[in-house]
Amino acid sequence: MTASPADEWRVEPPPGVAAETLTVAPPSIEAIAEVLGWASAEGHRVLPRGGGTHMGPAGGEPPDVVVMTSALNQVVDWQPEDLTLVVEGGALVSEIESALAERRQSAVLAEHTAGSTVGGMIAAGVSGYRRLRYGPSRDRMLEVTMATGDGRVITAGGRVVKNVTGYDIPRLSCGSEGSLGVIGRMCLKLWPVPESAASLTLDDVAGFAGLYRPLALLETELVITAYIAGTPEEVAAQAEAVGATPRPGLDWPGPLEEANQIELRVPPVLVEAAVSKVRDSGAAAFRAQHRVGIVTAGFGEWAASRLDELRGWAEGNGGAAVVVAAESESVDRWGAPPGSLDLQRRVKQAFDPLRVMVPGRLPGGV
Amino acid sequence: MTLAADLRQVLGTDQVLDHPLDMHIYAKDAGVTPGEVAAVALPATTQEVAAAVRISVRHGVPIVARGAGTGLSGGAVPTKPGLIVVLTRLNEIWDVDEAAQTAWVGPGVINLDLSKHTKPLGLHYAPDPSSQSVSTIGGNIGTNAGGPHCLAEGTTVSHVLAVEMVTAEGEVVTLGSAAPDPLGLDLRGVVVGSEGTMGLVTKILVRLIENPPEVRTLLLAFDSIEASARTVSAVIAAGVVPAALELMDRPMIEAVENFRTCGFPLEAAAVLIAEVAGHPAAVEAEAQVVARAGAEAGATEVRIAADELERELIWLGRKSAFGAVAYAAPDYYLHDTVVPRTRLVETMTGIYEIGARHGINMLNVFHAGDGNLHPLVAFDSKEPGMLEKVKAAAHEMVILSIEMGGALSGEHGVGLEKRDLMTKVYAPIDLDAQARLREAFDPQGILNPGKILPEGSRCYDFGLVANLESGATP
Ligand SMILES: Cc1cc2nc3c(=O)[nH]c(=O)nc-3n(C[C@H](O)[C@H](O)[C@H](O)COP(=O)(O)OP(=O)(O)OC[C@H]3O[C@@H](n4cnc5c(N)ncnc54)[C@H](O)[C@@H]3O)c2cc1C
Repeated sequence: MTASPADEWRVEPPPGVAAETLTVAPPSIEAIAEVLGWASAEGHRVLPRGGGTHMGPAGGEPPDVVVMTSALNQVVDWQPEDLTLVVEGGALVSEIESALAERRQSAVLAEHTAGSTVGGMIAAGVSGYRRLRYGPSRDRMLEVTMATGDGRVITAGGRVVKNVTGYDIPRLSCGSEGSLGVIGRMCLKLWPVPESAASLTLDDVAGFAGLYRPLALLETELVITAYIAGTPEEVAAQAEAVGATPRPGLDWPGPLEEANQIELRVPPVLVEAAVSKVRDSGAAAFRAQHRVGIVTAGFGEWAASRLDELRGWAEGNGGAAVVVAAESESVDRWGAPPGSLDLQRRVKQAFDPLRVMVPGRLPGGV
Repeated sequence: MTLAADLRQVLGTDQVLDHPLDMHIYAKDAGVTPGEVAAVALPATTQEVAAAVRISVRHGVPIVARGAGTGLSGGAVPTKPGLIVVLTRLNEIWDVDEAAQTAWVGPGVINLDLSKHTKPLGLHYAPDPSSQSVSTIGGNIGTNAGGPHCLAEGTTVSHVLAVEMVTAEGEVVTLGSAAPDPLGLDLRGVVVGSEGTMGLVTKILVRLIENPPEVRTLLLAFDSIEASARTVSAVIAAGVVPAALELMDRPMIEAVENFRTCGFPLEAAAVLIAEVAGHPAAVEAEAQVVARAGAEAGATEVRIAADELERELIWLGRKSAFGAVAYAAPDYYLHDTVVPRTRLVETMTGIYEIGARHGINMLNVFHAGDGNLHPLVAFDSKEPGMLEKVKAAAHEMVILSIEMGGALSGEHGVGLEKRDLMTKVYAPIDLDAQARLREAFDPQGILNPGKILPEGSRCYDFGLVANLESGATP
């Protein structure tokens, strides 16, 4: 590797990254862009890294350079009266959400936030359980400033809640898995946190039908729970309507602990069927999001045949089975690529012409 | 063979228009600028759309998708002689799935027809542009249309799960799926709002929403526009996101009442229409929050619709606004900008000042809850110099919105009208990034050229490595 402009920002590689891998924590978006421009010129593979909590299974070629967003962790602008927040990519979700909570606001990022950064969660396209009520995270991406694979710093969107000024690059960056560049800064739309919230244990999923716009309807290997929020009267009335005793607050199930995890994404009407499938396939634990269409299952040991079976079923129904974590080195994380593969390649190329950003990380080896 | 003759071989004689009169009709949308038409194609199936695209590409003629042509920014107006592909014949609704709350629809389906169709199931399609009785879902996708009820529910893009589209190469591709988080980059999200520059949408999977069990509609009157705008900020700050929050000023109230008696208070400087919807046990409390915010800002009247009839009358007033203006003046020019909601009062003050300085007749009705402004100028284009004056005022209003931290357009699109103002919002490197994204979809620049991005946006000055790759001279 030739001398790099990145040397001065060099840090210790985080856990899980090989000790000899050049790891940098540049102090600004411009500095990140400088590193990426250099990597493009030299042909080095780059892996952006936030909290390292949503990196997916190992495998594929290791990166030459790891770009940490940890030095970009500031709230740039928070307008509570406008329900908007401008924040840097490396800010911790937990810190941001607890600051917002003081004014009863939320960016509605995923509930399990240990160590996750806002930029990392957006790049991973993770939405959290409350998407049933508030929609996926991409609906809250109003503006993005990104360092592209070839070292440009670009901004798109705007700091307003409704906007059609140009192409929707902010939304595109959500779920881009680091394949276009590094998300340095973004403006998110916030939601007010309702006055009251409760968790309801139900006997079966049929009980869901009696609820109006719940936050989430979750089923695990142990319980079926509905999460509701609103005015105190509304919460009480909803609980009564389904004959459940409301527990104040939202007691989300803990994250899956298994070393092998598969996420099924299916049309929402197929969640019940997906639950039977993962039960039959010997899942040790699972988290099913009813009416959303996501069922994540944890397994004690890896079995390729099980993935094939679940994937075959999900893909056959217009969905997908994504490997979230695996003890095996050579696993196909995504399965069948989308039909728009050619367009996917060309869009990546528009941001990362020399394919240095996590090449091959997107479905279909894009 | 000519383009029209080639098209007729595939689409049939009647489905291709090239008579000067037809071409004149299709040269304009609901905006003010006309364009030039090479021919008009009226395909009825995805395959016919794809064939028309391939033929036009072969002839080197640009392709412009068109729905109902109610766009206000020139999105459906060709900048050079182009083939207009009218998608209104693809107007089927099929696979309405009550359990999944989704439906597949053709791009030619009229927005309101979809909600009417699903009403017996207690479901509706949330985006409700004021043009919903005439505009198409395909056109709504083209502009990422909004409407009063997009405040709580989000604009078109939040209600489109998947699209089938014909690409610039004339191929058919589906983006998105009924399952959440489809694999790969979210190209569906990019296509919505791309004004026909990335593909021609031929089929759409939409999300339907259950009708709220309870709705409360309020009409609040104020003796100043500032007090009404302050109420908007206060409601949002109080933690209530109403289903709708619309503002009308006195000139607009007068126009509406002259057109149709809806019982709006004529002595008010502004009225705010607020709607809260949801669970019966919550709606009353939220209505009270809105009423209180209004009272604290000095509302002269707070009316809560007592029944469905009164509610319908309030909305009839709101939805008659454009009809009322068309009735009162020969021409109107409708603006669309957006500002942070915290800057509403300042921006409105500035907009009135601009209107007064130019001596134009301005009326306002807008989506205040989103900060989405719609100053509307009523005028007579036969009056010499009038159109220029109206355009000059429009320009100043857009610049003011940008200075307030806002954007060029909240829902009508950039199109032709605001294309050259894009440089006021984005740096050259940002426009170049947008141009590259567009190029990924349409390398030859055959789909609706001259829209959204000003000429020279793809400037090859950025990203040295990329320039070497593409062989362009820096
Ligand atoms: C009185 C009035 C009130 C209005 N109120 C609102 C409002 O409240 N909110 C709002 O958002 N807009 C409003 N509009 C603007 C307009 O109605 C919207 O922009 C609407 O979405 C346009 O739909 P259309 O079918 O008329 O499309 P067109 O005007 O025909 O086309 C609009 C754009 O979409 C593209 N397009 C059309 N069909 C397709 C397709 N199938 N695939 C790809 N691209 C396509 C076109 O090329 C063009 O760029 C209003 C207009 C009028 C005249």
